[in-house]
This record gives sequence, structure tokens and C-alpha cells, in this order.
Amino acid sequence: MRARAAPGRGAGARAAGFLAAPVGVLALLFVGPIAILLLMSFLRMSIAGSGGFTLDNYGAILRDPLYLRILARTGAIATVAMLAMLALSIPLGYVLAFRVGRLELPLLLALVLSDELNPLIRIYSWRMLLGRNGLVNSALLALGVIHRPIDALLFSSVAVVIVLSVSWVPYVAIPIYASMKAIDPNVLEAARDLGAGFGTVLRRILLPLAAPGIFVSLILVYIPLFAEFATPALVGGTSGYMIGNVIQEQILEVGNWGVGSAMSFLLLLLSGVLAAVSYRLSRLSRIEAVRG
Amino acid sequence: MARSVADVQGGLSSRLAARAQAAAADARLRDALAALLRGAFLAAVLLLLYGPLAILVVFAFNDSIIIALPFRGFTLRWFGEALGNPLVRESLRNSLGVAAAITPVSLVLGTLAAFGVTRFRFRARGAVAGLVAAPLVVPWLLIGVGALLFFNRLHVPLSLRTVGAMHVVSTFPLVAAIVSARLVRFDPALEEAGLDLGASPWEVLRLVVFPQLAPALAAAAIFAFSWSFNNFEISFFTAGFELTFPIWVFSTLRHAQNLPVVNAISTLVSAVQVLAVYAAWRIVRGRPGARRAAQVPEAIPELIQR
Repeated sequence: MRARAAPGRGAGARAAGFLAAPVGVLALLFVGPIAILLLMSFLRMSIAGSGGFTLDNYGAILRDPLYLRILARTGAIATVAMLAMLALSIPLGYVLAFRVGRLELPLLLALVLSDELNPLIRIYSWRMLLGRNGLVNSALLALGVIHRPIDALLFSSVAVVIVLSVSWVPYVAIPIYASMKAIDPNVLEAARDLGAGFGTVLRRILLPLAAPGIFVSLILVYIPLFAEFATPALVGGTSGYMIGNVIQEQILEVGNWGVGSAMSFLLLLLSGVLAAVSYRLSRLSRIEAVRG
Repeated sequence: MARSVADVQGGLSSRLAARAQAAAADARLRDALAALLRGAFLAAVLLLLYGPLAILVVFAFNDSIIIALPFRGFTLRWFGEALGNPLVRESLRNSLGVAAAITPVSLVLGTLAAFGVTRFRFRARGAVAGLVAAPLVVPWLLIGVGALLFFNRLHVPLSLRTVGAMHVVSTFPLVAAIVSARLVRFDPALEEAGLDLGASPWEVLRLVVFPQLAPALAAAAIFAFSWSFNNFEISFFTAGFELTFPIWVFSTLRHAQNLPVVNAISTLVSAVQVLAVYAAWRIVRGRPGARRAAQVPEAIPELIQR
């Protein structure tokens, strides 16, 4: 990348002219709220008001088996959904990049459009399909396949995984497609001419070269999956309850801001660690890819 | 000699030809099968993405309060009821108003940030780029909860203004990502040449920079608007007693059965969104560099990777 001026005061001062407003807004309205979150998580709360610092809020979370169970379930739901999306997106990215010809742009647009539609409407459409009185159940009942509605379809962690996967899959498929698109098709053809089967091509060429896209999708998708709460609230029931629901309940319903903000901060910490790991991996995988 | 050399050769080559033919037929069969599999796979993906929405639309026209088969007959009354519902109208008005207000603000802030980060080299550049990208990585739930506690501490009453402020924070980094993905692709030498040839900075901006950025800005505007309109998590925590469209859908469904009125209004909103994205695509496609602008979510990884 080229820059207009060498590093130095002049460039900094001119850059400040552009950056003062955006950085100011973020410092106040992004860093501010995160800092308050951190502060509140260490404050002692009592009926008499708040006073003094404490680690009680974190202790309350880490000692409570219920919270730990919900935390584990959140991780499981996020991980299964992420793996499902990767399993769908790797072949999808390949097919879009090399195998659809003129349909490439329309199909890509279909992916982008699905993300632009309202997420709450999407959640509702799945609930309508899978719910106790949903269409799948009523169709099966009408056909006489079952005699009582299957509750497990909805209000379960399975429903949460399905809806989350469909909601986020564009953000996994598009980066993977983009990094596959950068692969020279001649390389694939040469490999095939030299007798490599599809398995070999996938393992030796496609996956290593698509790795940066895969790690980007981890940052964009895996992290927010841990903080979902609209989807589990509407299709999860009690068995699909996630950590985001606990935070919402503690903050808005119970009014226990100490525990709520401690939980939020733990989630933020987890996000930071995941982001750092994925970022490292994406850098490493790029270097590996360049080295060949 | 019973068989001449020519006979042997002839027999061999005809056998080879037969084998080659069989192999070609095999390959054709394999290709046809592969094409069939690809078609089935793509159809399945599209069905997952759009199937439930299609069913939602069908049941918006069903003449029954219960959403179940069989289909009871065609009606438009749910659309009338939805559009007559004062809460629906209020929530749509609020969501459209907030999105319309924050889009220009996000465009300005995002373009400024993109310029500052891509066009200058200075010591804190990495840190600033990281800060600008951070709201794209931190989950919206956490931004929303943090904002709620923040506004409470500062005794700022929650309203559509606080919703709008937080939408700006979550949206302008997206604009910055899209615009800087475009900026790194064109040559700052053009801007310098303009200045050297005696153009004023304003003229350089208007005549050199803006025409190159226009497709990216158009795409960014559409994405900013729809991110704000669709946002649920941040709005939910910062709206206080105000209603936005996603909040209305959430609270209606939280405590109720599935309702045909929700189908009707969802159908209308989705139809408008489809038309808007399609129109945007058509507008952007007509210009050079349009292919990139049509693939905007790509810009997000681009910013993070840099």
C-alpha cells in the first residue's frame, strides 16, 4: 500500500483532521460503554447502593453450576453451528467460484440478500415451520405419520443450531468463496491432469489456500454466535437457553447489573481470545500458502 | 503366418479405440452426475435460505387465524389489519426514521475514517485501524448492554436518540470497511497529479476521488440503512420504552402464538428489502468496479486482514 507521506508529524497531523471525529465517536460511545461494563462488573452492589470493589460477581458466576452448564451449552451450540456452516460453505464456496458459470453473480446476490432481510422475520419463519403447532407437525399429523406433535422440533437446541446456521451462513460462505476465487483455476486443472483425485485437490490445494477465508469467518461468525439471544429466546425454549439470555435476564428483568456485566465481560474476554487466535491463524495460514 | 502384423495392430487399435470410447462415456456420465449433484446441492442451499420465507409469504394470504394446513382460502385482510395496527405503524416509522438519520452520519464518519487510515502513515495507525474495526467484531449484545449501563450512569434517558447514536457506532465501521477496500485499490498518484495540476483539494475530492468512490458509497449507504433497520440487539437495550420494528416482532412473538398479521407485515417488509437490494445491484452494476461493490461483505474481511 502506498502512503502520501513518510511517517512523521506531518502525516499524523493531517491524518488527525480526518480521524478526529470517527475516533472521538468511538472513544465516547464504544470504549465508554465497554469501560462501564468492566467497572460495573467489579462493583459491590447492595440495597444501600454501590460501594467498593469486589470479585463477588465473577465468583457468583464461576461457582454456580447452572451458569457453568449454560456456558457449556452455549459453547456447544456455537461450535456445532459453526461446524455445520463450514461443512456447507466449503463445498458452496468451491462450486460458486469454479463450477456455476454465469450463475455465479446471481447466486452470490442471493447470499447477500438473505443477510439483508430482517433476522427477526427469518427466525419467525422457522418457528412457524418447526413449532408445536407448526407446519411440519401439522402436516405429519394430517398424514397420520405421528399422532402427537413432536415438541423436540422446536424449543430445543437443535432448532437453535438450525436457525443460527441459516442466519449466519452468508458470512462464512462469502469469505471462503472469496479466498477460493483467488486460486488460479490452472492449478486445479494441472493437479487433475497429474492424476490427483478430488480428495487430494481438496486437501492439498483448496483447503490450504482457502484457510485465510475460513479464519476470517471464525472472527465474523463464531464470536457473535456465543452472544446470540434473539434466536434462543424465540426458538430455544429452556433446553436451548444460552448465555446471551442469561445476560438479558440479569440486566433487564432481575436488575442484577453486577452479575450481568461480569457475564458480559467474560463473554467479551472470550471474544478477544477467539479473535486473537483466529487472527494469528489467518496470518500463519497466509504465510504457509505463500510458501506453498 | 496366421496373422499379419497389420492385423495385430488393427485389432489392438480398435480395442484401444473401444476402450477410449468407453472411458469417454464414463467421463460423460461422471460429469453429468457431478452436475446433477451440484444442482441438487445449490437447490438445497437456496431452499434453506428462502424456503421458510416463501412459506411465510404463502400463509400471509391464508384466510384463517391459525397457521396450519390445509389452506383455507385467499384473503388480503391480514395486510389490512397489519397496516391498520398502530403499533406496527409506529415501529416502522421509528425504524425508518432512525435508519434514515444515521445513514448520512455513518457515511461521513466512515469515509473520514477510511481516508485517514488508508492514505496516511503515522505511528498510531495500527491502533486506530483496530479501534475502527472493533465494533464489527464485538457482539452487538455486548455493545447494547454496555450502552444501557453507560447511558444510565450519565443519566441520559433512553430514547430513539440513544438507539440512533449506538447504530452509528455499529454501522460506520462497516462503511469504513467498504470504502477503504475501494480506496486501497486506486492510486493516490491520481489525487497528487490533480493537486500538482492546480486543482483545489475540494476539486480533487469532487472530480477525482468521488467518482471512483461512488459505487462503494452507494453500496455502503444501502448496507448502513439495512443494518440499522434490521438491528435488534442494540436497539432492544437502548430503546427504553420506544418501539422499533424488530423489537415489535420480538415482543409480539415472545408472548403469543404465530400470527398471520406478523406474516403479512413480514411479507411487505421483505418485499421492499428485496426490491431495494435488487435496485442497488442494478445501479451499482452499471459502473466500473461494480462486481466488487456487489460483493460487499467481502470488504469486512479485507479490513480486518489488513
